[in-house]
Amino acid sequence: MSELTQELKAKIIAQLNLEDLTVADLDDHTPLFGDGLGLDSIDALELIVMLDKSYGIKLSDPKEGRKVFETIQTMADFIEANRT
Amino acid sequence: MEKQNYTIRSYCSIRDRSIRVNGNNFFDADPSAPLGDFLKSAYRKLGVDYPKFHKMDGLCKAIFIAAELITRESGPYEQHMALLFANRSSSYLSDNRHANDVFMPGNPVASPSTFVYTLPNIAMGEISIRHQLQSENVFFIFDSYLPEFLVPYANATLDSQRFERSALCGWTEVTEETCDLLLYRIGASGYLPHSIAQLERLYNKEDE
Amino acid sequence: MRDEVYIVGDQVISPLGMSSESNFRALQSGHTAIAAVMDAHLCNHTIHAARIDETPWNHLVKDASHYTRLERLFILVLQRLIDAHNIPMDKETLVILSTTKGNIGLLGDPRSTFPRDRTNLTAMAEVIRRYFGFENPFIPISNACISGSLAISVARRLLRYDSRYKRAIVVGGDELSKFIVSGFDAFQALADGPCRPFDRDRKGLNLGEAFAAVYLSTTPVRGAVKLMGIGSFNDANHISGPSRTGEGLYLSIREAMREAGDITPDFISAHGTATLYNDEMEAIAFQRCSLSAVPLHSLKGYFGHTLGACGLLETVMAIHSLKNNELIPSLGFAHQGTSHALNIITQPTKRPLNTFLKTASGFGGCNIATIIKKM
Repeated sequence: MSELTQELKAKIIAQLNLEDLTVADLDDHTPLFGDGLGLDSIDALELIVMLDKSYGIKLSDPKEGRKVFETIQTMADFIEANRT
Repeated sequence: MEKQNYTIRSYCSIRDRSIRVNGNNFFDADPSAPLGDFLKSAYRKLGVDYPKFHKMDGLCKAIFIAAELITRESGPYEQHMALLFANRSSSYLSDNRHANDVFMPGNPVASPSTFVYTLPNIAMGEISIRHQLQSENVFFIFDSYLPEFLVPYANATLDSQRFERSALCGWTEVTEETCDLLLYRIGASGYLPHSIAQLERLYNKEDE
Repeated sequence: MRDEVYIVGDQVISPLGMSSESNFRALQSGHTAIAAVMDAHLCNHTIHAARIDETPWNHLVKDASHYTRLERLFILVLQRLIDAHNIPMDKETLVILSTTKGNIGLLGDPRSTFPRDRTNLTAMAEVIRRYFGFENPFIPISNACISGSLAISVARRLLRYDSRYKRAIVVGGDELSKFIVSGFDAFQALADGPCRPFDRDRKGLNLGEAFAAVYLSTTPVRGAVKLMGIGSFNDANHISGPSRTGEGLYLSIREAMREAGDITPDFISAHGTATLYNDEMEAIAFQRCSLSAVPLHSLKGYFGHTLGACGLLETVMAIHSLKNNELIPSLGFAHQGTSHALNIITQPTKRPLNTFLKTASGFGGCNIATIIKKM
């Protein structure tokens, strides 16, 4: 499980151009949106693309997306449950 | 046409791997440095904390840096300062990336953060957000820098403004091979005449 | 400085017809250009879009094979405008060309037979200029979805301030391509059916194709309309999402109304793309300007979102509303879908009409509002 969270952190930093952050800076439970990491709507769309491209999961309901992308941990849980 | 008396308050040029403000050197990189590395190093030298910079494409980054340097030299921007930019290649850097993503054999996947930059005026949006500019934006496409058009158009724009008379204008041609940018702030209280001849001098680096 | 600039002619090519009149008649009849499109060259799934079938008209373009499809459509709409008004192509005539992506369909497409340089907007504009022999180089503008309306404002400024020019053609167009469709798809901006501007159940936009042109002059003629006021302000909020308070559009509308002499327009042709955020933002801006009771439509239910053409296309249709004294319904609307109620036109309505407000907003946070009056 923690391998996946590490992998996710690296992917997110690369995909979202979070230049000033390292994998070590990202906590499994920090909120990704809002007050935590402060990601925006384009970042949310990029995460949806990443889920599809890297894990074969298609997410089209934005409401579902909000729950999935709450934290690195919730993302990892979702991917584990749904990856193809 | 009315007599125009506008002046250039400050200007920034980014040529190849060299950045100058008001004719003075700000930053130079090795001519062989890739565009991305050059712009990142310049950003670090700027010393601003603006993480969104790293999400921008090369065109936006270059314009961001130039706009930052100009405001440092000449003071805060007016809220309604018009943005009048032009270039030859539009948003070519991002156009190319997006096309590569979309025509890739096998698994073509479009990236929203690349696609959003496939419009040249996004750069105006980025600096509007950074400097809280609520103003008119126009992005023209010309074969080469055309002060013969931009000077009278900018003058007409300032003439039609009701409050502060100000604009940020320039030529912003940025591709992987070329970095050819000249941005200048005009208004009523600058130190160089806002004229075709003066801008040709600046563009041709006769201020160095 | 000459104050008055008039629109004295117009022309449209869209899937609904090859002239402004045939397009307006289609609107009066409630016809839509939007259909389900399954084309692997555009998208790997079905989309609802409005595409022009230009094949019956290619013979009207000399040496048609020398031009890309986009160029041929620009040529066709310009030819029809020039012929209808005998427009001189001399140094007193300006041509402003609005497009978001021009020939971008050629980029990366293995089927393309044109040189890559044709994706350059000045190269494209020059090819069209040479077809007609216009003396002045065209002035291309690429400013996201406000390009069409913005091009009108640029032309107006040039005609007012530069006495070298007596008239201007403002032409705009964009073509659907995998490049464009895939991008909007990645933004999850496309509706999975016909779009529903301002409706409670709206789910996104439909893309469309159109080519539209207006002829501007400082000399009015019979049937001319006048550009009364224009305002354009950026939101300074986000590069792809509109301001939640509609700030830039609010400032734009206020400025346009102020310049026009604070008249309340008889109707509004909104941008109304049918995305959740755009329509909500527009409703807020209209409400802030006390325009919630003004009859309003979006034409995107008929044409789709025609990108670089939309400001011009929808302005032309609104001009024909003025001439015909007829309000065109907002297609796709059934239930209020914005937090502030708007007066959405649901039936074709005959009534005296003198002025309208046209709005447009685009990626990059740009906005523009234009007020036009029948003379």
